[in-house]
Amino acid sequence: MSDKPAGQRRDLKALLAQEAGKLPQPERRAFLANGLTLAGGAMLGSATSAAAANLPPEVPPWTRSVGRGVVTVPYGMPSRYEQDIVRRTVPWLTASAISSISFTPLHRLKGIITPNGLVFERYHGGVPEIDPAEHRLMVHGLVDRPLIFTMDDLMRFPSVSVIRFIECPANGGMEWRGAQMEALQFTHGMLSCCEWTGVPLATLLQEVGVSAEAKWLLAEGADGSGMSRSIPLEKALDDSIVVYAQNGEMLRPEQGYPLRLLNPGWEGNTSVKWLRRLELGDAAWYHREETSKYTDLMPDGRARKFSWVQETNSVITFPCPENGLKQAGKYEIEGLAWSGRGRIKRVDVSVDGGVSWRSARVKGLILPKALTRFGLEWDWDGGPALLQSRAVDETGYVQPTLAQLREARGVESIYHKNAIHTWRVAEGGGVTNVQIE
Amino acid sequence: MCRLSRTFVGLCALLAGSACTPEPAQPPVSVASGSGAGTMAVAAPPETAPSATRIGSTARNIGTLDDIEELSVAIAAERRPSGYFGYGDPATPEQIAGWDIDVRPDGKGLPPGSGTAEQGEALYEEKCSTCHGVFGEGEGRWPKLAGDEPLTGERPEKTVGNYWPYASTLWDYVHRAMPFYEPQSLSDDEVYSVVAYVLYLNELIEYDFELNQSNLAAVEMPNRDGFFVDPRPDVVNAVCMEDCKNPDDIRITWDSTELGVTPTQHFQDDVADAAAPAAVASATLDDAVGQRVYDQACKTCHGPGLAGAPVVGDAPAWAARRDQGLDVLVRHAVEGFQGEAGYMPAKGGQVQLGDDEVAAAVSYMLQNSGAAD
Repeated sequence: MSDKPAGQRRDLKALLAQEAGKLPQPERRAFLANGLTLAGGAMLGSATSAAAANLPPEVPPWTRSVGRGVVTVPYGMPSRYEQDIVRRTVPWLTASAISSISFTPLHRLKGIITPNGLVFERYHGGVPEIDPAEHRLMVHGLVDRPLIFTMDDLMRFPSVSVIRFIECPANGGMEWRGAQMEALQFTHGMLSCCEWTGVPLATLLQEVGVSAEAKWLLAEGADGSGMSRSIPLEKALDDSIVVYAQNGEMLRPEQGYPLRLLNPGWEGNTSVKWLRRLELGDAAWYHREETSKYTDLMPDGRARKFSWVQETNSVITFPCPENGLKQAGKYEIEGLAWSGRGRIKRVDVSVDGGVSWRSARVKGLILPKALTRFGLEWDWDGGPALLQSRAVDETGYVQPTLAQLREARGVESIYHKNAIHTWRVAEGGGVTNVQIE
Repeated sequence: MCRLSRTFVGLCALLAGSACTPEPAQPPVSVASGSGAGTMAVAAPPETAPSATRIGSTARNIGTLDDIEELSVAIAAERRPSGYFGYGDPATPEQIAGWDIDVRPDGKGLPPGSGTAEQGEALYEEKCSTCHGVFGEGEGRWPKLAGDEPLTGERPEKTVGNYWPYASTLWDYVHRAMPFYEPQSLSDDEVYSVVAYVLYLNELIEYDFELNQSNLAAVEMPNRDGFFVDPRPDVVNAVCMEDCKNPDDIRITWDSTELGVTPTQHFQDDVADAAAPAAVASATLDDAVGQRVYDQACKTCHGPGLAGAPVVGDAPAWAARRDQGLDVLVRHAVEGFQGEAGYMPAKGGQVQLGDDEVAAAVSYMLQNSGAAD
């Protein structure tokens, strides 16, 4: 609840009611709902209106007045007209919001960086609220000198900043049998990409001195799920980072504040949040999240373990179910591609369900294990189309078809579905999620 | 950076491109070795031709931005002797003992203690059955624990009995993360007892078998050999560009809109928002808070009626509770309460909630059960 004194809260209620009273009934509802989230920010007196009175040649009121001053909103928020750009969930996916997932609104994001407030959430025991002054990272086990680090200690080490994606391996996992997610946000939104800043795990491991017999490392969270994963030492020494900042500011609580692990290119679950402990050992721990979960069941009843890498994937973000087409004409098909093994090398796009393909333009930064944006100009004739994208990474791996994945793995493996995705464009421009053969 | 005085640097940034004169371009990369200060400054666009840059005693070619990024990681992680920085405090054996809770398949990490299924039965029914079912069958979407159905059928349900490879995993997980709303609240003997009961539900040990530190690792789980190391990449697709398939053969096998099971009202104007309660128009701030907290903390049990929780909408059940007095009801919700019907964890297990938030949620549930004053 608001931390304002009760009197101030009542004033705000009165103000909301008063302002709402000026509005027609339907707008009043929206205003009250919005007002709740705006509480503490500037209250604007008039309702949303596309009235022609503000269009040329008329001069709108915001040009004939002045706006709010500095630090009216000390921590800036998006425009009130962008309030529908939020994380969303599909309630029936999980038993409780405390152990659940929300999805990034990929359909409304630009470039490759996910804003901190929109990074998808995945909790197994809710978000702990941790005072960084009381947070510690313990590194022990098969080491020369077991150490405990404060946040100040950790932030004193030489730091690195890298742009890397984090993806839940269950992204798209609801569609092994068929298409059932009606929006891009739900088909691919367990995916985000940030600039992460922290200490290379290798630096910390050097500092404690890893024993020769150590082969694995257990990473453990300080949250109520005590999240724990076994990480092979090879990965830890390669590119793992103990992260304390994202996109220039300290980690968000949802992303592990004050400290998390980042295993670039690997399934998100291994990037343990609220990191409190690293133990070096000579064997894997086989904990719940690497046996009961995050293993991939095959048709013969056996299951793949240690399936860490997020293989090459891509999806078209415009058009998509949330962003349909309007009239025939020129458009830029846009999308995102990513690979847990390195850089994206090329992306091809088909508008006829995979009969023919054209190479898209890969735009902006092309970073290893990062979201990479692509675009292709398209002259839409107003008729039906089947849009697909197919990414290739620098190892030469080509994003597979769903039929190929099903052939190899059946439909019960939940995780690591990175198949070519199909959007159907209907006559009229509506876009739906379909699967084709 | 601006050539103006420090005071004006911020303003200068605001006015970028107008009054400020940029300093001469920096070399593409400058690294302050070992200082932990700013590690790199990039002035050259990615298209710039590779240029040699001296870092410490090593000259390296740097081409694109991503090369620079990788190089910066490599430099920060350069080989240094143990204890080089000298940061951090030694972790004492007592400190380690308090946090080192992990258990491995070979039994390493198991503490002394013991328990039988017989001893665990009542505890399981009190603390676990609400979500996992009295027989381990799983309530709603909560995990099913017991069952030996084959993993080769259609939509097989994974259980401890048919899937988990090691009993140690069960001990470790129950100890670190269960009960869901009160993790790390069980004693070691209680963990042994509950684990024994779950193994018993799966017919893997006898009711009176005493599970302990020395024999748990020897419990043979049926699916012990059911896992193999990820062989990916396991499929090979080709980069075909023309005539890749016959257009006449293409057919749509699935259309997500036919099921209609995901939220769409945020982008489809003509779809009624079924989830929006009709009462929004008269909503007050407290109602909104109440509903938010209810959704977040209470609905899990008070929606379906788990753990003896009164179901929202069940007027008689709520009227009886309201008659105790709202303050009593709120106190029970805030502090936790063991009633005849069931167990209410303090704040629904979400200790971060304020007392007034819990009160708003109680009020919300009363109102929606026809039991408000």
